[in-house]
Amino acid sequence: MTAAAGESAAGRDAAAGAPESTGAESTGAEGVHDRLTALAARLAEAGERPAPPCADPVNEPMIRNWTQALGDPDPAWHEGGLAPPAMIQVWSMPGLGTAKGGSAADEVLRLLDESGYRGVVATNCEQTYDRYLRHGERLRSTLRFDGIAGPKRTAMGEGYFVTWYQTWYDERDERVAEMLFRVLKFRPRERPGGAGKPGGGGKGAGGKGAGGAYPLRPAVGPDTAFFWDGVKDGELRIQRCADCGALRHPPGPVCPECHSLSREHVVASGRGEVHSYVVHHHPPVPGRTPPYVVAVVELEEGVRIVGNVNGVPPDEVKIGMPVEVAFERMDDELVLPQWVPAGAARQGGDEAAERKAGQGSGHGSGHGAAGEEPVLEIPLTPTFVIATALATRDFTPVHHDTALARAQGTKDIFVNILTTMGLVQRTALATVPGAELERVEVRLGAPAYAGDTLRLFAERAGNGTVRVRGTVSLGDHVTATVRLRRGGGHGGGHGTEAAR
Amino acid sequence: MTLSGKAAIAGIGATEFSKESGRSELRLAAEACLDALRDAGLSPADVDGLVTFTADASSEIAVQRELGIPGLRFFSRVDYGGGAACGTVAHAAMAVATGQADVVVCYRAFNERSGHRFGQATASGRADSTGLEFSWHLPYGFATPAAWVAMQARRYMHEYGATSEDFGRVAVAMRRHAATNPKAWFHGRPITLEEHQASRWIVDPLHLLDCCQESDGGVALVVTSAERARDLPRPPVLINAAAQGTGPDQMMMFGYYRGDLAALPAIGNVGADLWRRSGLTPADVQTAILYDHFTPFVLLQLEELGFCGRGEAGDFIRDGGIEIDGRLPVNPNGGQLGEAYIHGMNGIAEGVRQVRGSSVNQVPDVRNVLVTAGTGVPTSGLILSAA
Repeated sequence: MTAAAGESAAGRDAAAGAPESTGAESTGAEGVHDRLTALAARLAEAGERPAPPCADPVNEPMIRNWTQALGDPDPAWHEGGLAPPAMIQVWSMPGLGTAKGGSAADEVLRLLDESGYRGVVATNCEQTYDRYLRHGERLRSTLRFDGIAGPKRTAMGEGYFVTWYQTWYDERDERVAEMLFRVLKFRPRERPGGAGKPGGGGKGAGGKGAGGAYPLRPAVGPDTAFFWDGVKDGELRIQRCADCGALRHPPGPVCPECHSLSREHVVASGRGEVHSYVVHHHPPVPGRTPPYVVAVVELEEGVRIVGNVNGVPPDEVKIGMPVEVAFERMDDELVLPQWVPAGAARQGGDEAAERKAGQGSGHGSGHGAAGEEPVLEIPLTPTFVIATALATRDFTPVHHDTALARAQGTKDIFVNILTTMGLVQRTALATVPGAELERVEVRLGAPAYAGDTLRLFAERAGNGTVRVRGTVSLGDHVTATVRLRRGGGHGGGHGTEAAR
Repeated sequence: MTLSGKAAIAGIGATEFSKESGRSELRLAAEACLDALRDAGLSPADVDGLVTFTADASSEIAVQRELGIPGLRFFSRVDYGGGAACGTVAHAAMAVATGQADVVVCYRAFNERSGHRFGQATASGRADSTGLEFSWHLPYGFATPAAWVAMQARRYMHEYGATSEDFGRVAVAMRRHAATNPKAWFHGRPITLEEHQASRWIVDPLHLLDCCQESDGGVALVVTSAERARDLPRPPVLINAAAQGTGPDQMMMFGYYRGDLAALPAIGNVGADLWRRSGLTPADVQTAILYDHFTPFVLLQLEELGFCGRGEAGDFIRDGGIEIDGRLPVNPNGGQLGEAYIHGMNGIAEGVRQVRGSSVNQVPDVRNVLVTAGTGVPTSGLILSAA
């Protein structure tokens, strides 16, 4: 399952039942839609059914693997005899060499595949924990198909959202946890000549070749290196004259206003609006999949910059549209500052990117809480990506086999969703020590590739909730709302301070 | 001291215009130069100066060798793509007017369709000033001239309410002119506005038929003193005014960072110099050769050069203003959209024919012709006048 550019783009889609005018592509869409609707109704009616058995009891060796791989130091999981709540799905993972089977939506996903909706991205994962589990407990789980929504226009292409539930019960048949899982199955945008990308998943509208180096590399010189260095750090740097203060983009060695040779830079807020734009269709451009949007963006600092507008269908881009920066990793070396509709890359009040901007030299615009540090900063080494995948018993090759991951059209191996859930848990509990997780609602965004750095920020949002946001160079990897309850229901380890 | 009227174009020459010349670019250059010298009634032995584009593949000394020119006193090259076109004539005229040379041939020849195509994506840049300038654009797949022009065209539409049909009427007019020009690639092949609208997107808002064709061919022009030209067989066509120009914060087709995108300040500056140096006004020009690599910039040039007000070019064209019998017949040869894309040099040759009265689509009573070079880049212009 590929978690990619999902919710930020997919969540803003147009009203249901308004497929884009894809001409011949939509031929037979009515028939497919009817069959999907009928199948979804039948599956939903079937209700809850048993999932493959949970092979092992909740046990300390698997918990130790997990806490070590994720770097979770909480003593509650060992001395306290408790299981990390975000491990819930681990207990029912089938393991290597066992047919994955039974996502509760397999038939719907297969029909969508056959109907040209070959791409897939996970968009949502919501887990409710009725109570914490103790070492030694035996579990069983069930699956329940929920429904489909679509066809909807999304940044990935036209698609259907497919939702199902998994529920876990203890030996007394009392529910201990429930999970909602939602994926977008989409029809990948066609390349001219009809060579749609097989497998499809996980690519933004820009489109990059699988694997290798991105072919459109900027030349970098002594007068421009600061800009590209900044981009790698998630900063949009604008040259400022150290004498007269004039801002300038593109930069150069001399201030055209006062002829000073003394330069510095500010970090832009990353907000601007589309001043003009084009939609490139022809000729083919290496490394790009048309149609794509190139825009002149006027920043709120007053300078202009050129970049792609991603995350929105080209025909919805307009002059005057507010956009914000989203850093896009093109390959191992190159990151480009790109643009998405304002608000698309951020949800809730926790604006980590703004904090980042606020740290910039002399920017002083007052956006975000300057100097605030991430709760967790995790270098995504291949070891981390692989160890966490295995510790969560997820043997999908895209999480440990680089060559296979690239063959499927992703840049590299990437962090799996079960690990993301665990890191959200870690971030929330580090922010409110002693609290207990009641519910986690996660929206998935850009993939967290090996070689990148995942920074997790947290903000207490009142009413016992914490907002967690995880960013990578491509933008938001995860945004989550975590509901906490008063600890103490589990004894040992955790304190009883209420979450506020 | 003024250049006005000191030099003249005494001869024009060209190869055929095609999509595949089947021969070397140097050979095309030599053929065009020989054709122009024949037209002027001169021989290679009379030539002592050569000027071409920085972009040209054939060096001055290579052309000198092929033509058997005994020696050169003056050679120079003009930069910035199609913006060089009128600049070559300006350099030649200055050399002639100052006595640096007697007979200067300006040439441009390429296999732009069968060889290196400008319309294909540019993928890399060196870390020189030009490469760095491109590096703010190429990484975003913003890599073709059509895309670079389209960015300004979109803003122009936004500012003034212009439409794709307004651009399309330029293409329709150019193809109508080309249809009656036997040398034009699109001879006998006019188009309708509906066909323009139905043609595929290249870079929205530009359709295929908003873009000039890619061509193989060569054009050469012989420049000598007005005095010497009077003794040659063809009626002399005086270089009444010549100008090169850039605008503020000038870039190579990326004038997006300051000021108004719905404008072309470089050609505005060139126009102001041409009017001042010639003492003429737009009303004194009977026909204009406006560089038409992409339709939207014909509209912007009409405005920058003062043939109509800002935002009024669409109306000017809708009213038939650029037709052969209109207020300002534009590109009677069919322009680069209809005749051939020889980087603007074929347009200068048409300007000469209009002054001579020898064009296949002759505008009546031509005394002064305004000619422009590539826009969106540092550019140049000429006013050619009857002696």
